[in-house]
Amino acid sequence: MAQVSIGSLDDFAEGELTRVEADGTALCVVRVGDRVHAICDDCPHAEASLSDGDFLSDDMAVECPLHGSSFNVETGEPDCPPATEAVQVYPVTVEGGDVLVDV
Amino acid sequence: MGIALIAGAGMAGRACALTLRRIGWDGEIVLVGDESTHPYDRPPLSKSVIVGTADMDKVVKPAPETYAQDRIDLRLGTRVEAVDAAARTATLSDGTALAWDALVLATGCAPRRLPIPGLERAHRITRMDEALALQALLAEGPRRLAIIGGGFIGMEAATAAVAHGHSATVLEAAPEPMSRPLGREVAAHVLRWAEARGVDIRAGVAVEAVTDAGVVLAGGEVVPADIVVAAVGQAPRLELAEALGCAITDGGVRVDAGLRTSVDGVWAVGDIAAFPSRWADEERIRVEHAAVAIGHGQVAAEQIALGEGLFEDLPTFWSDQGDLTLNVVGVPRPDDEIVWRGDTQTPACTAFYVRDGRMRAALSVGDMKTLRGVRKLFAAGVEPPPAMLADPAADLAALAAGG
Repeated sequence: MAQVSIGSLDDFAEGELTRVEADGTALCVVRVGDRVHAICDDCPHAEASLSDGDFLSDDMAVECPLHGSSFNVETGEPDCPPATEAVQVYPVTVEGGDVLVDV
Repeated sequence: MGIALIAGAGMAGRACALTLRRIGWDGEIVLVGDESTHPYDRPPLSKSVIVGTADMDKVVKPAPETYAQDRIDLRLGTRVEAVDAAARTATLSDGTALAWDALVLATGCAPRRLPIPGLERAHRITRMDEALALQALLAEGPRRLAIIGGGFIGMEAATAAVAHGHSATVLEAAPEPMSRPLGREVAAHVLRWAEARGVDIRAGVAVEAVTDAGVVLAGGEVVPADIVVAAVGQAPRLELAEALGCAITDGGVRVDAGLRTSVDGVWAVGDIAAFPSRWADEERIRVEHAAVAIGHGQVAAEQIALGEGLFEDLPTFWSDQGDLTLNVVGVPRPDDEIVWRGDTQTPACTAFYVRDGRMRAALSVGDMKTLRGVRKLFAAGVEPPPAMLADPAADLAALAAGG
């Protein structure tokens, strides 16, 4: 695991999904308040970029734009079919406004 | 503990093997598949694989070394040839004799054979090797495809091909293609969307022969084609289940909600399983779609490892047709009443299947918000009146939450 800076907190708008490349790994990143969550951008179910989907703030989940499975940003677990596998979650820390991801 | 023998390494068999280990079962696992490729996701075959856009590491998964790491004895290029329920033994096609304590039948479907002269010339895309063979031909440049069969597989292949610069004519015997799974009204829209994307659909035509020139129709007309694809349907492989004496019903192996067959120690999962579903008024249904297959495999694993687990998922499937994705939840019936919400032209809409005034299924395209609302309604058991389903201003997720 390497800790990689992906920008400052201000770079991320509340509840908006952003695709970020960190050390060769494509991430789907979302800011919720002063916290930032990062999951793998590839939908584990089929070929889709999760950052093209929507963030469901009530469920704390990212919804895949193709088939509508949503993945909890804290556990990676799918909330509904057709996906059956969890998406990888990457730990994020915010230090002095800097967003750091362990990839 | 003991030995779990899984006959079939498709999506249901693979899920069963991986789940057994994931939940900590420590017995021996033998996973037997007749293809030479490591287990893979089958849905991409008729979509991204044939046009060469698939990321194969994400289709053939998990990584091949996983099986050794998980102590799953994966036997590729092999079939379970014979089984004995009383002695709990099996013989593989390579002559190996095995004992088993739990047997999971995950034998899937075999392509339907039609008595059409020359049909053996046509490409099939039900297996990875077949899809890769078609991919190699399509990679050579724009081709004229004639696709026999206007079901999901045929339509997916046609829309994928035209989206990548090929031409495609779909030849379907039924006068109204897709009307059996989707009903006439919704099917007509799905076909229209495909036609708007450049697919030529010829319904109600009888194929007489496949030749070097293309496809010969009744009456003598030749549909010229460089490549002919046969997507003429499939039928469950029930031979092993029958040999074991498993009860057969509704064209499949009769199972309970725990996927148990009528024979002790034998489970049936995926395409072949006729299972009771609360989403179909407790009637037995067979579903030939990936999400159900995986769910079945997982439940059978829980049954073997823990002695519990029921398959109660809301059936769901999807069909990618070029740039359009159809998402279907619930169990639609062809004679259901259809209530539309949204714009069928774009399309950005949802068709609700209503029976006895109740929403029983929905097909959604380009409308994730409604799809999400529908899933929440089903999960909550909330059934808004059809007029509310049709009203784009009605917030289905809020209704599901009791709002």
